[in-house]
Amino acid sequence: MSAVVSRRQSILAMMGAAAMSATALSGPAFAQAAGDPIRKIVLITDTQGAVPQAYQAAQLIAQAWRQLGLDVEARPMARQAQTDLVWFNRDKWDTTMWRMVGRPERSDPDEMTFNLFHSSTAPRGFNFVGYNSPEYDKIAEQQRQTVDAAARQKLIRQAQEIVSRDAPYAFLVHPNTLQAFNQTVFDPATIVVQKGVGIRNFWTFIGATPKGQQKAMIINSGTALQAIHPLYIAGAPDSWMNELIWDRLVRIGPDGLPRPWAAESFKFADEKTVDVTIRGDMKFHDGKPVTIEDVIFSYEAPLTTDKSPMFKPFVTDIDRIEKTGERSMRIHLKRTNAAFATTALGRVFIVPKHVWEPHLKSVEGKPDTLESIRDPMNVGSGPFRQVRARLNEEVVIERHADHWAAPKVDRVILRVIPNAEAVVGMVRSGEINLLSEYGGDPDVLEKLSKDNPAIKLTQVTDVGIEFMAFNHRRPPFDDPAFRNALSAAIDRNVLIQAAWNGYAVRSVSHVSPAIDFWHSTEVAPPPTGMNLAKEMLQKAGYTVVGGRLRYPAGKKEALQPPG
Amino acid sequence: MSYALRRLAHSLFVLWAVVTILFLMFRLMPGNPLAAYINEQLSENDQRLIMAQFGLDRPLHEQYVIYIWNLVQGNLGMSFFRREPVWDVLKSALPNTLILTTTGLVLAYAFGVLAGAWLATKRGTMAEAVIVPAALATRAAPEFWIGMILLTIFAFSLGWFPAGGANSAGAAYASEWSRILSRDFALHLFLPALTLALYLQGLPLLLMRSTMLEILHDEFITMARIKGLSPWRITLHHAARNALLPVVTAFALGLGATLGGNVVVETVFSWPGLGRLLVAAVAQSDYPLAQGAFFLISLVLVTLNFIVDIVYGWLDPRVSHG
Repeated sequence: MSAVVSRRQSILAMMGAAAMSATALSGPAFAQAAGDPIRKIVLITDTQGAVPQAYQAAQLIAQAWRQLGLDVEARPMARQAQTDLVWFNRDKWDTTMWRMVGRPERSDPDEMTFNLFHSSTAPRGFNFVGYNSPEYDKIAEQQRQTVDAAARQKLIRQAQEIVSRDAPYAFLVHPNTLQAFNQTVFDPATIVVQKGVGIRNFWTFIGATPKGQQKAMIINSGTALQAIHPLYIAGAPDSWMNELIWDRLVRIGPDGLPRPWAAESFKFADEKTVDVTIRGDMKFHDGKPVTIEDVIFSYEAPLTTDKSPMFKPFVTDIDRIEKTGERSMRIHLKRTNAAFATTALGRVFIVPKHVWEPHLKSVEGKPDTLESIRDPMNVGSGPFRQVRARLNEEVVIERHADHWAAPKVDRVILRVIPNAEAVVGMVRSGEINLLSEYGGDPDVLEKLSKDNPAIKLTQVTDVGIEFMAFNHRRPPFDDPAFRNALSAAIDRNVLIQAAWNGYAVRSVSHVSPAIDFWHSTEVAPPPTGMNLAKEMLQKAGYTVVGGRLRYPAGKKEALQPPG
Repeated sequence: MSYALRRLAHSLFVLWAVVTILFLMFRLMPGNPLAAYINEQLSENDQRLIMAQFGLDRPLHEQYVIYIWNLVQGNLGMSFFRREPVWDVLKSALPNTLILTTTGLVLAYAFGVLAGAWLATKRGTMAEAVIVPAALATRAAPEFWIGMILLTIFAFSLGWFPAGGANSAGAAYASEWSRILSRDFALHLFLPALTLALYLQGLPLLLMRSTMLEILHDEFITMARIKGLSPWRITLHHAARNALLPVVTAFALGLGATLGGNVVVETVFSWPGLGRLLVAAVAQSDYPLAQGAFFLISLVLVTLNFIVDIVYGWLDPRVSHG
């Protein structure tokens, strides 16, 4: 720990020295005809307690921007307040630290490509920065309609080039996920590393093969669970359990690409028609067979009623579903969606109609939804069945022996352990044998692995991104040159070392190198440097007068700093 | 009798005030509970549906009336995020918290009372010079620090105790009672209860000592000495019994205060209790759950306060007629 602190401190000290010398560079030479001084810029960040990496990065970024002559206030905010401001008050903030977390379904680049930057999602959706580029919109739409993978890959890579050029965000890093497992308990060859996700993934849960007497996989979560429920999306650990208890037609493979699962096959009959055939050997945990009626019900509950609002977005492209055989159905789409397999077939859980149809009837005409209804048995058809769930403490699921891909371990036990240091102790003592989540100091884990050959460490680059978002609705952030210059002023290597302890890779665009099929290697990291940033600003007409950065000539400051 | 009724009315008023402040506090706090629901594709209509389901689309005064009315009927509402009745959520954490708190308090007070009484007889000695600062230092040391030290020594190094949780992974029990009475549970309870006890022992120790010092100068003690009673008999039977009264009050109030203040110990030892639940509920703006948890804690505190008032009035009639 102390090594990390001192490394961080020496980097910070260097930054301070650089600040002094850089201020000396900006002189009255810039003082030509200038616009108004740029108002104080507020840089919103997570609190140090909540996301220490982002907080640290924000301090460094604020320091760098001050060297450009900007008056910058780094303002930590609690998560809820930050979201409330950024999401629901879109014209009232300047810049904010933000992240898109990695999830298996984000292995398809559609969400990051379309939702983050398409202008249609600017008013209320994920394009909260308000980026607006007709050129980009066209490509984002085209990739969605291009079913051919190679052609779509080209479009996705083109989108990355535009984003890199326009700098809607200052992309910072893709964090590395550190995990570990005990290789004396599990055969290391059966622990699957999923791209962008790591070893805590579906394929490890069903494939991990115990070597000895310990047949239970014991994993950890830092936060309590909220609900194990097939129609409700709560926290991350909840979803780990949900996807083991309930099956999906399609699952995201270790390569990040969708593969048939409960669906024996699925194919696009044409651009707006998908034919699905389900397997014939599936059973629910209560012994009843999984039928095509169950599958259709699972999709129609969110599609045709308002009783499953959280799953509605996944079926939004579906027009209707028709049964075409004892094991087959045809899905008619409202519009083409190349990512349909991932975003719909890979999201909706197959629920038993005999359990949920009566519940659906019971909430008809009431404000309640299926989300507040509990099936105490949590009957699914997935490879594990629920044994018991004490959401603050632990969840136990056991292998569903009748499953066609029955797991090798007897049970998976999820322990809720908020103390990161205790987690390390538990990995050492065997109280946890697969470290599924770790929020503590990476060096401690490295040391543990070095001292204990049984503990094998794994590290993958996340699909998620950490970035600094610019609000394009508020000048000067509407100017790509200004955004690019601010981005150039940020030294990513310093951030990676000082904020992420070296456990991250530089991010260049919204598509992580973790999903290499979609990631463009042709988009080179834009060069950075304080002098370069100053030159870029000068070229775009921004000047420094009396140490304060001003707009290009004739431009007035019309805004107040956010209150 | 009228004294008891007055105290009861007073207690009810305090509870009402607490409930009202809680209601307003959470709703006036920045942050929208929907923020945690942000889904890239959730339409405005879907968001409205969720708001309506929570009753958040109604005006504040209407929400307040519904809330109070439900509370009077013993209904604490539904947790936004758990989608379960608040009482069911609290019920799952309450036994763990009650057991941890009472064990910690009983240990702290048993030690504190005895050590305090003994120390009062050691005025000006080496024992006083060592133990009083030591007790103060332990009292002032942060709980997480004490907890981490105990964990490092007894769990990580010696391996005598588990590093967290209330039961071993996957342990199954026939009933809640058999779980709580199991050896496994006791092993898990030991370190967190000890941490709490170390943190809490300072108050009873110092309180007992100072009260004892006063009492030891009273005339009836001098009388006892003249009668030739042994020093231990005087200390325990005559002085300590009289010095206990303020300690008992501190215990009752301490129980209520500690109930919700265990967050740190619960986090360090991954103890599945009320404190962690409460912090998570506040962080997520889960109003009903946070209000329910705070209400429960205030209810315990106000009830214990009420009982102490009544018992005091009975023990010392000057209080009720004052």
